[in-house]
Amino acid sequence: MDEQGQNGLIPTYREGWRARSSIAVAIAALLIAFYVVLYWEPHAKSVLGVAPFTEIAEALGLRNRWYLYGFLYSVTMTGGAIYYLRRHGNSRYNRVRIAVNVGVQVILAFLLPFVMPLFGAPEFYFSYFWPLQYSYFFPQTLAQLPLYLALYTVVGSLVLAPILAVVLGKRWYCSWVCGCGGLANTFGDPWRHLTSKSTRSWRFEQVAVHSVLGIVVVLTFLLGLDALIGADHPRFSHIVAGPQAWSLKSLYGFVVGAVLAGVVGVGFYPLFGPRVWCRNFCPMAAVMGIMQKLGRFRIRVKPDMCISCGNCSTYCEMGIDVRSYAQANQSFTRASCVGCGMCAHMCPRGVLKLETSWRHAEDKRRQRLSVIDF
Amino acid sequence: MRVVIIGNGVAGMEAALGVRARQPDWDVTIVSEESDHYFSRTALMWVFCGQMSQQDIEPLERDAYQRLGFRRVRARAVGLDTDEKKVFLAGGLEPLAYDRLLIASGSTPRPGPWPGSNLRGTGHFVTMQDLAWYEAEVHGGESRGGRPPRHDAHLAATTDDSPYRFREAAAAKRGRLAERPAIIGGGLIGIEAIEIAVAAGLRPHFFIREDWFWPIALEPREATWIGERLVEHGVEVHLDHEVQELESDDAGNVQRVRTDRGAYDADCVVIAIGVVPNTKWLEGSSIELDERTGGIVVDEGLNTSAKDVLAAGDCAAVRWFEGSLRPEQLWYTARDQGRIAARRLLGDESRYERGIWYNSAKLMDIEYTTVGLVNWSVEREQSWFYEEKGRVRSTTRIVVQDDRVVGFNLLGRRWDHSVLIRWLEQRRGLDWVLDHLEEARFDTELVPRLRIPKGRARPALEGPAPNPAIAGPTKVPF
Repeated sequence: MDEQGQNGLIPTYREGWRARSSIAVAIAALLIAFYVVLYWEPHAKSVLGVAPFTEIAEALGLRNRWYLYGFLYSVTMTGGAIYYLRRHGNSRYNRVRIAVNVGVQVILAFLLPFVMPLFGAPEFYFSYFWPLQYSYFFPQTLAQLPLYLALYTVVGSLVLAPILAVVLGKRWYCSWVCGCGGLANTFGDPWRHLTSKSTRSWRFEQVAVHSVLGIVVVLTFLLGLDALIGADHPRFSHIVAGPQAWSLKSLYGFVVGAVLAGVVGVGFYPLFGPRVWCRNFCPMAAVMGIMQKLGRFRIRVKPDMCISCGNCSTYCEMGIDVRSYAQANQSFTRASCVGCGMCAHMCPRGVLKLETSWRHAEDKRRQRLSVIDF
Repeated sequence: MRVVIIGNGVAGMEAALGVRARQPDWDVTIVSEESDHYFSRTALMWVFCGQMSQQDIEPLERDAYQRLGFRRVRARAVGLDTDEKKVFLAGGLEPLAYDRLLIASGSTPRPGPWPGSNLRGTGHFVTMQDLAWYEAEVHGGESRGGRPPRHDAHLAATTDDSPYRFREAAAAKRGRLAERPAIIGGGLIGIEAIEIAVAAGLRPHFFIREDWFWPIALEPREATWIGERLVEHGVEVHLDHEVQELESDDAGNVQRVRTDRGAYDADCVVIAIGVVPNTKWLEGSSIELDERTGGIVVDEGLNTSAKDVLAAGDCAAVRWFEGSLRPEQLWYTARDQGRIAARRLLGDESRYERGIWYNSAKLMDIEYTTVGLVNWSVEREQSWFYEEKGRVRSTTRIVVQDDRVVGFNLLGRRWDHSVLIRWLEQRRGLDWVLDHLEEARFDTELVPRLRIPKGRARPALEGPAPNPAIAGPTKVPF
């Protein structure tokens, strides 16, 4: 046990279900079908004749299908964590990180929201913040929350999360706390090599993820405005927050909340890697990516030791071509990096190291690195 | 200006990139028999086991040659006329004219010297074609990552004795995959071939001529640890075995390895006894080759004996600090030499200067870093050795001359060699180094730090480590 470094080899491309074979396509189809039925169960019922999730949830004594989903999510993540740790668990960073991530999911994202309503409190997810959990900033949501939870949401989203991203890098959230990231790093681990490393995919990521961020900020602003003046301007209120499917609020929920985060985000694991959502669409990742660029986190490259093998780039779930930095002897911070530590873990020459220091933040400011590559 | 580069490896590609960065209009041609795409040779083992695809080990995107305007010739270079400035190619291709030439033809596997070394079922693990052979023996074919594009395009322009020809697999002839591979040669390529055979679920034989594994780098206590780990992984390690013959069955497939201490069944044999400069094709040309090593003799500007002809990488015999002339068969020195060669091709003055020796490796799951004069027999040498056996297992060996630290040999942890090199240059003493060792640690986060005992519990200096490799004494050059 050396507490770091890859232990044993991984037969990734000798396993069809991990290498975009027909089995992988079948798994993706199943996952997509799962999410389509889950999100649009009332519609699915008219086709299938049953509402499977609701009925199973009721049979298990869970309040509704979303608790069943939370239960399945936690079970899948735990199973995936066992798979992951059998492969990479010799490393202490991996063990601690995955244990925390699974613990947060089970306690903060499943048990607590289930138990809280029993004591008269609202169903609340402590591990999610705006702009990922965009509905927490809707005026009517904030108004309904008890004061301490409303404060938690506002301070957590606007102060705590960005500051922690400056201090620790966005990894504190994306690969230690977040449920989306947690599922990607456990259940999604077998497919992490499938994330595209091409320059084109990087450009797409830059445009897409910051667009979603822009949209959610504007939407949140408009909804706030609606709370102030909506009563006097019914047409504005109708477009922004109306109940119909094409209001801005409903559209965002459909496109970003359901299609991109769920159907595409998880459904495409076996085809395009487990971080499609986090890399290209998650607005919270975008915010913290900017903070990370300015902050203390970086991946340090040991000079002149890289053998260009490509294990780091291959197993980067965010599609970062880590090897290109290692070859150039260049320590770096990329906005998209979630700090999972896999590049350093896989490196056969120990060339890479995740680290945080105020000195790096200074260096980056001086070199104006924050404006070069997002 | 017509620049021709023989070799598509790291030295050749670094040179090509360096030239292109400053001369967008020069005509740059890269000749390679082995592969269309520049790839990391050190990563072949991961393609074998399926950890990476063929494309994953290529550092550049596949449209790079087109984008950068590098012309590719997929053929074997068979000769050179330095007066006419022409490179001759196999397959009846038109000779290539050059104004400036860089030879970066790399290494080829050292052939086995024993009877039977060329039997069906024997091979090496150095080239893309060796990979295909070994995959055919053990897995029955390539992984789902597939072969590189045009993987056999060179067959139209090669020679019968080319090391890049495909070898026939005994597994195909026999109708059964290899079950008992044998690997001959206790070095880095050998342990890679072992590790991937183990990953394929096999229990390979490992024949090592010396008394312990990798004696040019490790001392017995270090090697014993590696040996134990090999045995834990299911490897049958045969130390102090001198191979005498490889024996075949009636069909001409290898079936046994005979050594001075016994005969061992094996249905696939990887000969991993080192590499030699790929310079045979230059015999008879005016390029001076080093007699002992076969490397191309170059000066510190990487110039060969012929005008406008440079050499870089594994094929070049450079001057080492202790005065010897031989190739440096390392990835990053080939890269550095390629960068220097680029400047020379551009017409600049530039010298290749090798600093203090360092290297790293991974011996299965045990990481290894070495810096400075380990295994060089310096005068009045002593060594300091500490073995850590806690949550982390590691060994720390520091070579000392008159209380001045001159080398490090470190297993089991990660270290920043650049810090260690600085200490050697600063002529630090042993106590100072031990007190500051933490600053050079490069372990991942959360790994417990290395605690070196203090006071009386601290191990004392010992005599020099046993060292069969180099006859001393060597002067400390830094």
